[in-house]
Amino acid sequence: MSLVKQFWALLRVNLAGLPARLGLVCTIVIGVACAVGVLVSMLAMGVGARQEAMGNVSPNRAVMTSIDAPSPAQSNISQDAATLIRGLPGIRHNPDGKPIVVFQVTVFVQARGKIDRAQTGFPLIGMTPGLTDYQPELHVTAGRMFKPGVHELIASNKCVRQYADFDVGAKRHMRGGDWLVVGNFDLASTVCIVFADGDTILSAFGRNTYNQANVMLESPAAFATLANALKANPALHLKVQHEAQIFEQNMQQINGILNFVSYFVGSIMALAATIGAANSLYAIVDGRRRELAILRAVGFNSSPIIVSVVLESILLALPGALIGALVAWLLFNGLLASPFGASFHMAVTPSLALSGLLWALCIGTIAGLLPAVRAARVPVSAALRAT
Amino acid sequence: MNLKVKYLPLIWSGIWRKPGRTTLVLLQVAVAFALFGVLQGMKTGVDRSIANTRADVLFVGPAESGGAPLPISYLDRLRSIPAMKTVSFADGFLGTYQRPTEVVFALAIPPTDLWLTLVPEIFQILPKDLEALEKTRNGALITVDMGKKYGLHVGDRIPLTSTNLQGNGSGTWTFQIVGTVTDHEPGEGGLIVINYDYLDEARALNKGTVRNFYAVISDPKGAAEVSDTIDRMFANSSNGTKTASFRENAQQQMRSIGDLNFLIRAVTSAVLVALLFSVTTIMMQTIRERTPELAVLKTLGFTDRAVFLMVMGESLLICVAAALLGLALATGVFPYTAKFIPGLAMPLSVVGLGLIGAVLVALITAAPPASRAARLQVVDALAGR
Repeated sequence: MSLVKQFWALLRVNLAGLPARLGLVCTIVIGVACAVGVLVSMLAMGVGARQEAMGNVSPNRAVMTSIDAPSPAQSNISQDAATLIRGLPGIRHNPDGKPIVVFQVTVFVQARGKIDRAQTGFPLIGMTPGLTDYQPELHVTAGRMFKPGVHELIASNKCVRQYADFDVGAKRHMRGGDWLVVGNFDLASTVCIVFADGDTILSAFGRNTYNQANVMLESPAAFATLANALKANPALHLKVQHEAQIFEQNMQQINGILNFVSYFVGSIMALAATIGAANSLYAIVDGRRRELAILRAVGFNSSPIIVSVVLESILLALPGALIGALVAWLLFNGLLASPFGASFHMAVTPSLALSGLLWALCIGTIAGLLPAVRAARVPVSAALRAT
Repeated sequence: MNLKVKYLPLIWSGIWRKPGRTTLVLLQVAVAFALFGVLQGMKTGVDRSIANTRADVLFVGPAESGGAPLPISYLDRLRSIPAMKTVSFADGFLGTYQRPTEVVFALAIPPTDLWLTLVPEIFQILPKDLEALEKTRNGALITVDMGKKYGLHVGDRIPLTSTNLQGNGSGTWTFQIVGTVTDHEPGEGGLIVINYDYLDEARALNKGTVRNFYAVISDPKGAAEVSDTIDRMFANSSNGTKTASFRENAQQQMRSIGDLNFLIRAVTSAVLVALLFSVTTIMMQTIRERTPELAVLKTLGFTDRAVFLMVMGESLLICVAAALLGLALATGVFPYTAKFIPGLAMPLSVVGLGLIGAVLVALITAAPPASRAARLQVVDALAGR
């Protein structure tokens, strides 16, 4: 009999014997389901945060910052450079014929939690006129836009939910006196966002430079035109990045923490699942000593035995992973999570389920190896003695 | 014959009947409890260290981090707030000792009694050292670690090189060591404590300013209100402030870990489900394989109850030993976290909770196989039925 035929025969025997050992089988399936379920649900936080933050990213938008600044926070663009920047090529013009360039200055100020009154920093973003041209998806749900030149601000609905005094009409004490909340809006982001007039922020907070220049491109292809124009004009000392790149940078920190915790806990759970599965397989193989010895006696090789046991282990682990991913999807998909001061909906995606299956594949293979070797080593004499 | 003496060897040989299987069960339970210990230990430890942080001490610093230092004239205005008990302040500069790599922070304080009790768990000055500092204008207190590292003793002089220049243009500051200070703050480099008056008089720049104030209020419950009052008081001056109690600052720093409550509960329950199922099945399998041996025991006169207790005993021993191993592993992880969160140690309550959990796991998982063993009929068992 060829090795392949031996292998198929063995696999059929293995699988046919499983219903008799339902307890041990369930142990493997449930162990893997728990490990994969936990891993997938935790990774779903990182994926959800990403999806939500990147939800509105447009290839038509680009951000200019100082050439040597590692992030927009360390970047400085002087007010004098504004006219030059507005004249750069590749930038889309609004119906009034003005280039869509919005200068942005970000300061961090404190807010108090709605319930626990705990202080948290939130970004107060100053935008020069043109915000609605640059972000047409910004949707004011209550009140109105802020007016330039006065102490007015608009806050995202996330702020209203998380922190005190962000409803329309609320007054906030900040630099330069009282600031009036005149509107609330919806915008994709994992954190609370507050907009106010750029130049008013500059004077109130004693700054004289913007952090970044946001531009709407004529088309995604115009990015190269703009980048070349900046290269040809080194005196501006500016670089341009896709909006997606900036968002990606912002996500790195929170995603780093979330992924570390997920993989740390996930690996330990996978380890426990592997040990549990190995133990069950040992018991399953032990229960089959007699059959195995007989097969060895009639000339079955050890390699098909090993492969068949490992495959059996994988075949038990995979449904476990599917169950785990399914439970994670049922329980957590779309659930509002708020770790690390952010808040977003968790997302269990097909690619997460797939990575769960890959983990199960590893668990199954590793757990199956030792019991498989033991199965292949059953002495022929065991056939005569086994009970 | 004493029955208890007879049982222990039987339980012991029952456990090690299949060493491989027992070792794997031990490992699996240990890994599960190690995970529980790390997660729950972090959570409880962080909660506790936040609760132990003083809520009645407000930290008043510049509104923007890294902003210009605050004028010392704020001191009187802070003292004028009705809820205020005492106010102190601190300043300091970074210097190096002997080599550019040996960084030392000189913390400049007014030598008032407040410093004896401000944050004893992180930073503690004894009354005699404070008195010595008060008497010697250019005096300095050094940490015990620094004394050991550089071979410095009370009476020695310690010269620091700094970019913070003196009025005469010199960047070398020499202090007279008059005592020691205990410092548990995480971070690299050394720390010395010096007189604020001496620093302020000698330095060239930023005269009459401080890095931050420490305002002690009479009622910790009013911390949020008083903080807002202080920030509003200075909001429209050239130096805005950001005020928060020590506890609030700790909360903000540690929120990342404190938020994991939901996750811990989910993970712990998943681990528990997998564990209960796995251990029960393996125990069941073990008992099934031992049917003839158990029958022999019963033939020799062991009662049903004795067999039941023996199986329970095996499970208890394995689970508790494994849980101890896992919790010990988790405890071993904690010294590494102390770098990020000072004073975080495995809380005893978590160890206790873990052990109670282990006993419960043992009782639940052993109950079905133990009752099966107890119900075993000798005739059936020996007949192989």
